[in-house]
Amino acid sequence: MPMPAGTIVAENLTKVYRTVVRKPGAAGAVKALIRPDHTDKVAVGGVSLSVAQGELLALLGPNGAGKSTTIKMLCGILTPTAGTVEVNGIVPYRDRIANARRIGVVFGQRTQLWRDLPARTSLEVLRDIYGLTSADFSARIREFNRILELEEFWETRSRQLSLGQRVRCDLAAALLHDPPVVFLDEPTIGMDVVVKEQVREFLRDQVQRRGRSVLLTTHDMTEVARLAERVALIDHGRLVYDGKTAGLHDLAGVTWRVHVTVDGRPGATDVPGMRMTRAEGERLTFVPHQSADLTPRDAVRRLIEHLPVTDIRVEEPDLEDVVRAAFGAGR
Amino acid sequence: MQEAIIPNGGVPSRLRAFLLPWRAARITPLTELTQAARLVPPAAMVATQLALTYWLWHALYAGVRVSAGLDVAQATTYAMLGVLYQQFSTVDRWSNGDTMVQLMTEGTIAFWFLRPVSARRYYLIRAVGDIAYGGGLALVAYLACLGIGAIALPPSWPAAGAALITLVFGLAITYYLHLVLDLICFWSTVNDAAITAVQFATGLLSGAFAPLWFFPGWFRHVSAFLPFQTTLNVPLSLYVGRLPASALGIQLAVQAAWTAGFALFTWWLWRRAAARVTVLGG
Repeated sequence: MPMPAGTIVAENLTKVYRTVVRKPGAAGAVKALIRPDHTDKVAVGGVSLSVAQGELLALLGPNGAGKSTTIKMLCGILTPTAGTVEVNGIVPYRDRIANARRIGVVFGQRTQLWRDLPARTSLEVLRDIYGLTSADFSARIREFNRILELEEFWETRSRQLSLGQRVRCDLAAALLHDPPVVFLDEPTIGMDVVVKEQVREFLRDQVQRRGRSVLLTTHDMTEVARLAERVALIDHGRLVYDGKTAGLHDLAGVTWRVHVTVDGRPGATDVPGMRMTRAEGERLTFVPHQSADLTPRDAVRRLIEHLPVTDIRVEEPDLEDVVRAAFGAGR
Repeated sequence: MQEAIIPNGGVPSRLRAFLLPWRAARITPLTELTQAARLVPPAAMVATQLALTYWLWHALYAGVRVSAGLDVAQATTYAMLGVLYQQFSTVDRWSNGDTMVQLMTEGTIAFWFLRPVSARRYYLIRAVGDIAYGGGLALVAYLACLGIGAIALPPSWPAAGAALITLVFGLAITYYLHLVLDLICFWSTVNDAAITAVQFATGLLSGAFAPLWFFPGWFRHVSAFLPFQTTLNVPLSLYVGRLPASALGIQLAVQAAWTAGFALFTWWLWRRAAARVTVLGG
């Protein structure tokens, strides 16, 4: 049965690069030319993932983990060595033209604008390439302009745009033809916080209001925390986690903590299901026992029952720490 | 829930999707016109080169009436049109960062495979735009040279027609030669040496440096088996009347054979290239 529009399904996606091994020196260079030795490098090894219609999935991983290779196979630039992939029910690398009409792609470090043309002219060229009517084009630009504020700089040549302005134009370029699926490879890299927030608001709007499916790669954990309910972690070409953003804590073993201030030094600090990790005068820190199935709410209640609490605060772990720990756990 | 705009709803929509991408042909002219000051140095160079060519050939013919079957007007016209062809048959996109090798190195070539116009068709559209833009400039220069009497008109209407038809095929063959060089980028991003070699061979063997009629017989015999002389020597020889218009049939057949051969070869190359796009670090 064909997959509906707005879905991404990849099964056992694999990409192996065959490269020539060059030994140092002139003799090595000559040998590589005459009788080269080859080696296989697995960039992506059996990744399976899916994105439902109207969902935003954040694909995370350290540099060289295979995120970009995965996204390039999903959007049809690269042909997988093995495995299957369908985007909007289309095999992207087999039918690139049909696929291109249904996807939008932004590579944060590359632009698809023509660098010596004003940004507006670049968008008009893309309008023609996608065969859009002037009415559709104007409607789209009006819509994007509402959040991205393109009009301020779109008579400027692309090479003179700031990074933030350029990426906003690239976002508009990627969504001009109203694609159900959007791939964003580090779209906010190098941006200042104001523009980042503008781009995040735009993406939220596109997912929630327009129902687009988005696959996002980023190193920015604030972005993940604010945009993605689901994340996939990839490391050394393999998927180490695919689930709710909140569920990452379980994988990583990093959990919430409760900081309490007590009235005087209590005689005993035993609280069922909890372990004290720090005590500085009247300020104590507790974490749940690994075996205890405790929610922060339960913990607060128990702490108040067992200690003379004057102040209490629950600290959620920083997502960056969680992801770092998760990569450690996944290996 | 929104749907992608897919122009396949009926003939007008499909026709629009087919025709509108051709407007991308205006990218080069628009780029050039946004920096009109950049036109001045090439214009000055072409004017100088045309003037030098005119004076050189008139000096060479000072004591001779006919040489290699060409009189002074024919030889000068051939050489000056050769200059125009060499200067305007391609547009330099290097300073705009828009050459294939630059796009490949930067990784932005990936976008050619993410649009609903195939990379092969997009390359053709851009080349047609470049040729139209260069052709427009060449036409202005041609009319100016004609106006001041530096260039002669063809001897007859049939000669003019034959020259024009073979010029179109010549441009097609030039297009394919450049395409082959550009496609090498998919295997090696260091294609400078190949480009320099082919540019030199094209200039020498097409007649752009000097009319081929002045070269030794063995040289012309060898070049007859290569595609280069069909790009320029044939249309110019027909234009100046060194080849009779009645030779059009055989010349067209040779050009058509080269065009078809290159079309097939580049079709195969594109297929291979598209299968091995490995850019943007992946």
